[in-house]
Parts: sequence; C-alpha cells; structure tokens
Amino acid sequence: MSLTAKKALIIELDKKRADVKSFSDFNKYIGGVGLGLKLFQTYFDEEPIVFSIGPLNGFFPFASKTSVVLDNAGVIEDLYLGGTLSTRIKFAGVDAIVLLGKAPQKLILNIRNTDVTFEEEDTNANLLGLPGKRSVLKRANDEIILDDYFTTQEDFLEKKFTRKNISGMVVTGTETYKPADFGRYQEIYYRVLSQAKLITVNKSVDPSCSNCPMGCEKSRVGELGGNVLLHSLVTCSFTEKIYSDIGIVFSCLNVLGYDYTHEDIENLPKLIEEILQKTT
Amino acid sequence: MTKTLEVKFPNRCVGCELCVFEVQRQLDKVGLEGSFIRIFRAKNPKTKNIEFSIETDPHIGDLDVEKIKGICPNGVFGVGAKKE
Repeated sequence: MSLTAKKALIIELDKKRADVKSFSDFNKYIGGVGLGLKLFQTYFDEEPIVFSIGPLNGFFPFASKTSVVLDNAGVIEDLYLGGTLSTRIKFAGVDAIVLLGKAPQKLILNIRNTDVTFEEEDTNANLLGLPGKRSVLKRANDEIILDDYFTTQEDFLEKKFTRKNISGMVVTGTETYKPADFGRYQEIYYRVLSQAKLITVNKSVDPSCSNCPMGCEKSRVGELGGNVLLHSLVTCSFTEKIYSDIGIVFSCLNVLGYDYTHEDIENLPKLIEEILQKTT
Repeated sequence: MTKTLEVKFPNRCVGCELCVFEVQRQLDKVGLEGSFIRIFRAKNPKTKNIEFSIETDPHIGDLDVEKIKGICPNGVFGVGAKKE
C-alpha cells in the first residue's frame, strides 16, 4: 500500500496484458469515485471501466463499497458495488483496476494480487482464485452478479462487459498490512464500529458487505451516484452520519499514515467537477 | 482451562467477515491471509440462497476467543473448553 501515490492495475484487454502503474499526482483525488474519474479521464480514449476503492476500505467498518466508473452512451456513470470486492482489491495491493479496450474473444479475468491470467469463457469462475480471499464477478443470465448475490441498480456494467467480451472477473487479495500505530488503529476501529446505531438502514440477515455487520436488504443492488466524500472513501450513503464527521474521517486517515488536509477534503468536489467538465 | 471458539449457529452468518478481521487484528495485521477463520460462501442450488460456512484453525484457541465471539453481529459463535 502506498501512501504517496495511487496504484492501479491496468489491464489491456485487446493485448491480454496487465501492468501496475503508480500515479504520484493522483493522491488528491483520495480514492473511489474521485480516483475513478481521474483514471477514467486519463484513459478516456480506450473506453475504460474503472473499479476503484478508497483509503478506508479493508481497514475500517462500513467502508465496504467499490466504485465503478464507466461511460454509458456518452454519459459518465458512477456505480457502487457491495459484497467483498472492495476488500479483495485492497488486499490485492492496488487502489484501482482499470479495464481498457476490448478482448479479442470472450474471457474471464483471473486477478491474484497484481498477476492477471486470461481464462477461457467456459471456465468455471467459482473455481478460480482462492476461496475465502476472492470476489467473483460473473454473468448470470442477463445480470452481472458479484459473489452470487450483489448487483447494480442499472445494466450499465452488463452492457460494458458484453461490449468488451468480459464474461467474468475474479479478484483474490493476499496482501496484509500493519498500520504503524496499531494500538491507536484498533481503538479507532472499535470506535467507528460502535457507531452502527447511526446507520440509516435496518439491520437484517441478508448477505452483508465485507466489514459491515448490518446484513441489510439494501446492499444487494448497491448505489448509483451520491455524496462525493462518502463515495471517495468508499462507504455507502447509509453511513453518512458516521463518515460525514470530518473528525472521524481524519482520525481514520491519519492513523493509516495519510497526510490529507482539510483543504484536500474541501477541494475534492471541485476537482471532480473539473474532471467532469473536461471529459464530457 | 483453555478456551476455544465453536461455530454454533453457522446459519446465522451473513458473511460480514468481522470475525476474520478481528482474528487478524489479534495477530497484528490487516488482511485475509493467514487468518484463523475463513468464511466460504456458496449458493444453495435448491433454495438459491447464499449460505456461508465457517472454518476455524485449531490455533484459534491461542487468541482472545471471547472478543471474537463478541464481534459477531449475529451470535454465530460460542466459547467452549479446549480438549487437551
């Protein structure tokens, strides 16, 4: 995990090639939709799909979503997927996975940390990756389903996967981290977890997102658009009362070693607006 | 008496993985690799529901099992005596 640059796994589908790239000047986009839009702009000519996470994913409760930025018939859309994908991308050691171009044949992407293999379409995606440490995103009937349960509100991702000849994507993450002040990290973790009562969705017994105890019925279809800060971290809108508290956000970021300032947070909406104006 | 963690109500698991991350914190790390608990998910072909299964490593008893039990939002675990 880099604190001074954003790392993206760039997958060129047409060449069946993957590289990790480090973007030292993208830190100000924080992560999630901010980083996703910047990467989308950077690779605009190659029709990117950008899966991106934020600095809190994997480390703190309720930061459980993955941002997906893509073009849908000339409109830039930001979708948010639940499930286990955000933690697997974090533990793969990258901040984003960017899919460029179009595969020559239908295939399944098998990503293990930063290694990528391109599997035949008829491969059983559920047999790829490491059980317990993977997320499986695959086509089921007309939908793209994550972990056999989670999906998106619209069919933008399905259409894009079809267009790019992607039948599935499996992400396995095996990296581990240790924040420098581990005691303080744990203290903040439990403090955030104790605020579950502030979440504006009812606890239930549906499949839950990784690192979120709610098991809520809303998680299945994810989200579309919304609060820029929450979606850069990347949390869901139901946690707004927790993660719109700048004190909490800074405590989380600082204990992980990030040196974001209040100005960085305040400038984020403007940066995103600039990207949207230049890209559309 | 040494305590150990028992999976008492696996049907209550929602796959949040809070227990996995609690184990890792007790091992001084954040991540999934090397955890003494692993959560597996599978779709029941009959009901079409997602079902979770939980595997614990015998070394789980070396950790604070009460804390692991306590972090589960749905009371999946119990604490029992470890057989010597």
